[in-house]
Amino acid sequence: MTKVQLNAVRKQFGGFVAIENIDLEIASGELVALLGPSGCGKTTTLRMIAGLERPSGGAILFDDQDVSEQPVQDRNVGMVFQRYALFPHMTVEKNVAFGLSVRGTPRAEIADRLEEMLDVVQLGQFRHRFPAQLSGGQMQRVAIARTLITKPSVLMMDEPLANLDTKLRGEMRRFIRDLQQRFGITTIFVTHDQVEAMELADRVAVIFDGHLAQYDAPDRLYRQPANLDVADFMGATNIVPAAMKADDLAETGVGAIRVAPRPGFGAGENVQVMLRSEAIDLMITQPTQGGVPGKVVARDFFGASVNYTVDCGAHRITVTEQARRLVEVDTPVWLDIDPDRVWLLAS
Amino acid sequence: MARKFNIALSSRLSPFQKFYLLIIAGFILGPFIPLIIQSFAFRWAWPDLLPGTWWLEQRDRAMVPLAWDYVLSPYSRVWEATVNTVLIGSIVTVICLAICLPAARVLAREKFRGKSAFEFFLSLPLIVPEAAIGIALLMMFIRLGLAGSYVGIIIAHLIPTIPYMVRMLTAVYQGLGRDFEEQAMILGASRWQVLRLVTLPMLLPGVVAGALFTFLVSTNIFLLTFFLGQGQIVTLPTLLFSKIAGGTLDASAAGITLIVTLPGIILLIISERFIKEEAFGKGFGN
Ligand SMILES: Nc1ncnc2c1ncn2[C@@H]1O[C@H](COP(=O)(O)OP(=O)(O)OP(=O)(O)O)[C@@H](O)[C@H]1O
Ligand SMILES: [Mg+2]
Repeated sequence: MTKVQLNAVRKQFGGFVAIENIDLEIASGELVALLGPSGCGKTTTLRMIAGLERPSGGAILFDDQDVSEQPVQDRNVGMVFQRYALFPHMTVEKNVAFGLSVRGTPRAEIADRLEEMLDVVQLGQFRHRFPAQLSGGQMQRVAIARTLITKPSVLMMDEPLANLDTKLRGEMRRFIRDLQQRFGITTIFVTHDQVEAMELADRVAVIFDGHLAQYDAPDRLYRQPANLDVADFMGATNIVPAAMKADDLAETGVGAIRVAPRPGFGAGENVQVMLRSEAIDLMITQPTQGGVPGKVVARDFFGASVNYTVDCGAHRITVTEQARRLVEVDTPVWLDIDPDRVWLLAS
Repeated sequence: MARKFNIALSSRLSPFQKFYLLIIAGFILGPFIPLIIQSFAFRWAWPDLLPGTWWLEQRDRAMVPLAWDYVLSPYSRVWEATVNTVLIGSIVTVICLAICLPAARVLAREKFRGKSAFEFFLSLPLIVPEAAIGIALLMMFIRLGLAGSYVGIIIAHLIPTIPYMVRMLTAVYQGLGRDFEEQAMILGASRWQVLRLVTLPMLLPGVVAGALFTFLVSTNIFLLTFFLGQGQIVTLPTLLFSKIAGGTLDASAAGITLIVTLPGIILLIISERFIKEEAFGKGFGN
């Protein structure tokens, strides 16, 4: 169990700043996702924590000990590479036992732990195969087993699910989550998929261009993004400009909307209002009070859920609901928006 | 299905295909035929196509073929030359590997100023005639007391072999990502363990090919060895030269020639086996 801290960590490649003063604290046993678009510095951050890259500035602490100068071998971290990096000339068994044999663990103990680990990842029957003879999911399990067997104090995974198909990805997600809870290892994983980050992580660190944009629990990140970029990256669809009339009332292009007050957003401010599509109720009859009138212009049916595009005059608003009923296109509707689920963002 | 088809195809060669294979075989094996005949001749005078007298006809006068009798006797110095050749070849190969592995790693992975110029200059020793290098080295080595010594010859042999080796290993290193070594380090392997357990085995096919090539080049270098050996160190090529310097290929020279090819052939067979097993063990590519 190890607490990981990044204090004002910077990384520069020549003149190019890849990571700009990132502060991050990962609690012991926590599962944290590094989320961000391609090239934002996720892998670089991970490599610095692992010790494969030396920070240009700042410090990396494990349990309050500065490890910035410690060589990789001594950090006792585990890392699963994006392309697994299984040793092609070794069998599954040899691959998994590698970390123990280089540490000079006694043979009997290696055999025991190997058995246990192959059991955990259910690869016993493939033990004598070479990596080239495995499927993507199996290779990934080998990579995870090879890392876990060394009992790392911090486990890192670089886009562990990127190379898998959708169904396998779901399975592996649950598998990783289970393992992480079972072993209680402080885990950091990289992804550029926000759904994956939210499903797996206790907290998510969103990184843009080497800056830490927000570090929060998934629900807060989703409902209360720190700024427009984060909201956009988290897949927000309905963001409309507005002027604050009062602390709890915003005047938008589709009429006045009641909002939950947010400190710093007082009357007279120009703001952006974020309406989460699943937090809007679509009414066929006019509600007694409030309600934004509009007309359904498109319907996208996804089986369990359905998306409506509602033309409300100045803006088109997307509404998502369970597909318990289907509203026809061209139906006049009213949108009932829960003030607690309206989020204010700075313009 | 496809496998079956391939086998069927290869077992039923058309006369044309056989013809071309025969031509190739002729060019490769042809040069050995006169050598073999010569070495079993008792007397083979110009302009006869075949020896006038074979050893078999004169068995009462010689126990073994004359040439072989001589070649296998201590007077021929064949044994001494073989040991020298193999010894020098092995040491050159090991030193060459030790120099070229780290160099190839840098060339394959790092960017630095003047890299392309450096790569260009790598080929220079292959362009400059061996004789020129040999004479220049000889003058220096005589001063340094290295002429006629093993050290001198080994240094000289490194000159034409390093460029080949570096090129070969650079190509191999380029195919090997950093991931594997980094992963090994994270798993706790020391530098030496990474090299021994991950890098070398993964580079093995390339290293074997490079080592084999270096060894063969070294065992075939005549001019540099001749200049720098000063007649004191005899290797198979220089021994052969001293036998044919008179302008005739007599039976014993033919025998020596055949001996000269032996280390190479043995090595080829070993490496062929080795590389095949290696490829087999790895499963399918990757
Ligand atoms: N060794 C290096 N030398 C120079 N620039 C580098 C190096 N490694 C990374 N970079 C740069 O640093 C930035 C961050 O790279 P990084 O690999 O961390 O991105 P990432 O967030 O992992 O992206 P992806 O999702 O595509 O993997 C990129 O612009 C990249 O070009
Ligand atoms: Mg990356």
